[in-house]
This record gives sequence, structure tokens and C-alpha cells, in this order.
Amino acid sequence: MSPTLAVALEGAAKIAFVWGVVLGAVLPNLIWVERRMAGLIQDRPGPNRVGPFGLFQAIADILKMFMKEDVVPMYADRLLHTLAPLILLVPAMTTFAVIPFGSTIRLFGRDIPLVIADVNIGILYVFALTSVGIYGLVLAGWASNNKYALLGGLRSSAQVISYELAMGIAAISVFLAAGSLRLTKVVEYQASGTFLGFLPLWNCFPQALGCVIFVVSAFAETNRLPFDLPEAEAELVAGYHTEYSAFRFGMFFMAEYLNLIAASAMMATLYFGGWSLPLLHLTGLLGGLVSVAVFAAKTGFFIFLFVWVRWTLPRFRFDQLMNLGWKVFLPLSLLNLIWTGVLVLAKVI
Amino acid sequence: MTGALPGVAPMAVPPGAFLVVGTLLFAIGLAGALLKRNALLIFLSIELMMNAVNLLFLTYARMRGDLAGQMIVFFVIAVAAAEAAVGLAIFVALFRAHRTVDVDKIALLKW
Amino acid sequence: MPALNGQLVVFGFASFLALAFALLMVVQKTPVRSVLSLVVTFFGLSVLAILLAAPFIAALQIFVYAGAILVLFLFVIMLLNLKEEAADKDDRPVQRTLGLLVALALGGLLAGATLRAPVPPRGAPTGTPIPLPDEIPALGRLLFSDYLLAFEVLSLLLLVAAVGALLLSKRRFE
Repeated sequence: MSPTLAVALEGAAKIAFVWGVVLGAVLPNLIWVERRMAGLIQDRPGPNRVGPFGLFQAIADILKMFMKEDVVPMYADRLLHTLAPLILLVPAMTTFAVIPFGSTIRLFGRDIPLVIADVNIGILYVFALTSVGIYGLVLAGWASNNKYALLGGLRSSAQVISYELAMGIAAISVFLAAGSLRLTKVVEYQASGTFLGFLPLWNCFPQALGCVIFVVSAFAETNRLPFDLPEAEAELVAGYHTEYSAFRFGMFFMAEYLNLIAASAMMATLYFGGWSLPLLHLTGLLGGLVSVAVFAAKTGFFIFLFVWVRWTLPRFRFDQLMNLGWKVFLPLSLLNLIWTGVLVLAKVI
Repeated sequence: MTGALPGVAPMAVPPGAFLVVGTLLFAIGLAGALLKRNALLIFLSIELMMNAVNLLFLTYARMRGDLAGQMIVFFVIAVAAAEAAVGLAIFVALFRAHRTVDVDKIALLKW
Repeated sequence: MPALNGQLVVFGFASFLALAFALLMVVQKTPVRSVLSLVVTFFGLSVLAILLAAPFIAALQIFVYAGAILVLFLFVIMLLNLKEEAADKDDRPVQRTLGLLVALALGGLLAGATLRAPVPPRGAPTGTPIPLPDEIPALGRLLFSDYLLAFEVLSLLLLVAAVGALLLSKRRFE
């Protein structure tokens, strides 16, 4: 078959696999995991009626989303009201395109790297998509013609913009060490040696400060507790998604979870070695499958971390949040950048 | 004019097409800047004109095979950010003084 | 006519998007919708930049321009609560027609001039070639060698702009 057709089929298969896994397997189970873990932490059962152990709760939730009445406020801007959840959802779904979920496997005589699009701007694509997501938040608040929604939308977007900076600079240190913006090169770099002789060269060890900043900023970027003041019930009704019901609310919900999964995958890729294991060199078809499993396990751990922190910590006040983002994280991430630069120059990493 | 450089594949899209698109965008931005009354929308049209020029710079950079064009665009984007911040702050201060951003109504210096 | 290939299709779509939404931006009544139309225009321009072997600039266009500057515009519009451009009695028809004519004439003139202008071949001693698969390291190297002064001045400019914007928009409690 012609090379163009082969490339197209390869891409389509990878997209089908990633979206199938994320939307079909991870997302529904994430809904169940979140609510059961909430129950566990709060010393109550959680959903256990629908199916064995409440496993089909996600299906019940999705059915409810479809069936409820779709309400649009009277003086709302209809076009923007409809557009806002889409603007938030599309970047959440397309972030997965640049994240490498496995090593290179060899099938049908071709070397297939397990990443949908290995663009040379790698991480900049992810940041650009995050910036586009801000429009969804702002427009949802504005188009609802509701002062609480507007406040929630503005606060949400201010939060995302502020933590984007610290997150970006922490990520820059990773690319400084790896020498390329491509995420595949970052994972290869982390699999390529050891740090101080005994630790794997995962970026969380030499750049621990950057790792902490990135992880906490990811919580802020995805509007998860302890940074979810914009959607806190007691403060702002429901923030930017106050005036949304049924399927549109479902889209916001889905976008938030997809962002969470993407953020966990990014953390695993940038700081914890992605699909690589410390000592083994994963090649061939079996190696490829193992690498996918390793990546899934690491991402799963971070998703678990997100859910765990949500039900454990109280939330930040908005001024505390902005203070942390600008006055603490930004200088610390710059410090981390300088520290990484020193390490790179001294040929330690 | 072609996009042919020694050692590099020629451009699949003729570069003249990019130049025409850039010039048309510039003209549209100019029309917006001349016809609008809201100061913010005039500013927006000026931003469109700057981006049209960025496109032209990138086309010439590709045609000449010179990275300097891309560097210029990088600096233009950054300076536009600074300019937008200051310009919008000025509009906010103006609005506070006059309760309008209609350029026809802000006519204190007229004789 | 060049042969139909993938890049031509992408170019056609992106330039149509950019031009159509630029026109929409000028025509829209509501400021918020104008800003959103411009965002789509910038997406089209970003795709065109990728076609021109400038992926870094393309990402920067979305990241900085569409994702930060236009969000700033949107915030200010929401802060000032600007509604539609009220249809005024003095609609200035003469000025409108003249303005449109000037824009069209200038556009035609510029298009003709740019298409006719010869592009001097790269021969200047400081011309840096575009290493096509990997432009980004070369850009980085240029930024910190030939353009270092401009880069440092730019950072100072951004600092000054941030401080200035803060001062200008402070509410004076008299």
C-alpha cells in the first residue's frame, strides 16, 4: 500500500486506540473511582446500587445527562452559550495527540512510534491548547448573563492564566535538561541513564522543586481542589457552569475529567519517565505492550493522587491562590530553571 | 517568484498566494481601523494589520531561506503584547473619565 | 496552476478561514463576537505559519496572541461592559464610503506591488539558513547570539509595560 495510506491508517488506529481507551474505559471508571474514593475517605459507602459495587454508576450519570431538560437563560447569548463547553472540550480531547504512550513497536514491517503526532514543537502544542481552553471558561461565564457565573468565569480564567506561567517555566527546565521540545525525546532522555549512579534519570529527582511546582500547578489548571473556588457551591453557586444543565453540563464535566487525565499523563511523561522502566530496555512488540502498561500505571497513580487530594484538603481562598501562583511559584520556578541550568552545565544531568 | 532554494524542497503552495492573503488581511484590518467607532475595535483592527505583516515576514523568510524573518515576527508578537497591555490600560482610564470609548465623542482637544 | 496536494488543500482552508473571519470581525456588531472572530483568524494564520516552515511562530501565535492578548481584550470588554455599537443618527455615510474606498484602493495597490517586487536572493552575509526539520534550536541560538541585545531590551520593555499598565488603570480614590 502507498506510504501516505499507511501513515493515515497508522494515525487513525492510534487515535482510535487512545480515544477508545480514554473515553470508553478510563472516563467512566474515573467517575466511579472518584465517587467511591470520596465515600471511602468520608467514611460512607459511596454509590453501590447500580450494578455490582456500583460500577455502572457512570452509565446512569451519562443517561441522566442526556435525559434532563436543556435550559438556556432568557437573555443569554445563545451562540456563545452553546459554544463555550465545546471550546473547553476540544482542547481537552486533543491534548492526547502529543503524549507518547509507549515505545516504538514494529508491525507489518514498519516502525511505529506509539505517539499520535510527534510534532517538533511538542509541549508548546499542549500549552497553546490550554490557552485556548481559557476562552471556554470566560465565555461560559459571560454568556450566562448571571453575575455569579461571570465572577466564577473570570476567577477561573485568572487562575488558569496565573498558574500557566509557573507550570510553563517548570516545564522549560525539563526541556533544558532533555535538549528538545519533543515529548518523545524527553522520555528517551529519562530512559537513557542514571542520576548520581543509583537513581533513574527521571526528572523528578534532579528537579524536585520543578516537579512539585508542576504538580500543584496542574491542580490549579484543571480547577480541582484545593484550587476549585471558582466552582465551589457555597461561594459562587456553581461558578461558570451555573446556567448549564443536561448535556452541556455533561460536556463541562467531561472536559474537566479529560483535562485531569491529560494532566496526569503529562506529569508521568515529563517527570516520571513516561513509558520507560528504570533498568529494562523495552523493545519489540512485547516491550511495546509492557511500555503501554507502565505508562497506564503511572498515569493511573497520578489520577488517584488527584482524586485523593480532592477529598482530603480544604480549598484555597482566591487571594491566597493568586498569591501562591504569582509570589511563590513564579520565583521558585525561575530558581528551578537556574538550578537545572547549573546541573546541565556541570554535566551532572 | 518561486519558493526554490538550493538544497531545500520548493514550496508546495506558490508563495504569491501567501503574499496576497497577507495583503488582503492588511486591507481588511485597515478598513476596520478606518470605519469603526469603538476605540477597542480600532485597536483590534490594528492588531490584525500587525498579524498580516507577520504573515508577510514569514513568507519572505521562507522564500529567502533566512531565519531573520522569523526572529522579527517573534519580536513583533512580544512587542504587540506590551503594546496591547498599555493600550488597554489607557482605554480603561479613558472610559473611567468619559464613560465611553466612542472616538467621536472623545473630542476634548477639538477647536 | 500547481498540482493539487495536501498542502494546497490546507492552505486553501486556512486562508479562507482567516479571510472570512477577518471580514466577520469588521462587520460584527458586538465587541465580544469581534474578538472571537479574530481568534479564529489567528488560528488560520497559525496554520499558514506552519505551512511556511515556522512551527515555533505558529505555536507562539496561539499561545501568546490568541491565548493571552485577545483574552486581555476580552477581559477589558467585559470590564467596561461594552454593548453593541449603537446605531447613531449621524451615521457618517460619506466617511464610510471614503474609508471603504481607501481601504480597497490601498489593498489593491499593496497586492500589486508585493506581487511585482523581486525577492533578492539570499546572499547577504548575515542571512541564517532555515534548517528545515529542526528550526527551533537554530532560533534559540540566534536569539542568544545575534539578537541578544534586542532580547534583553524586550524583557525590559515587557516589565515597563506591565508596570505602566498597572499604574494607568489604578483607580484613584480622591
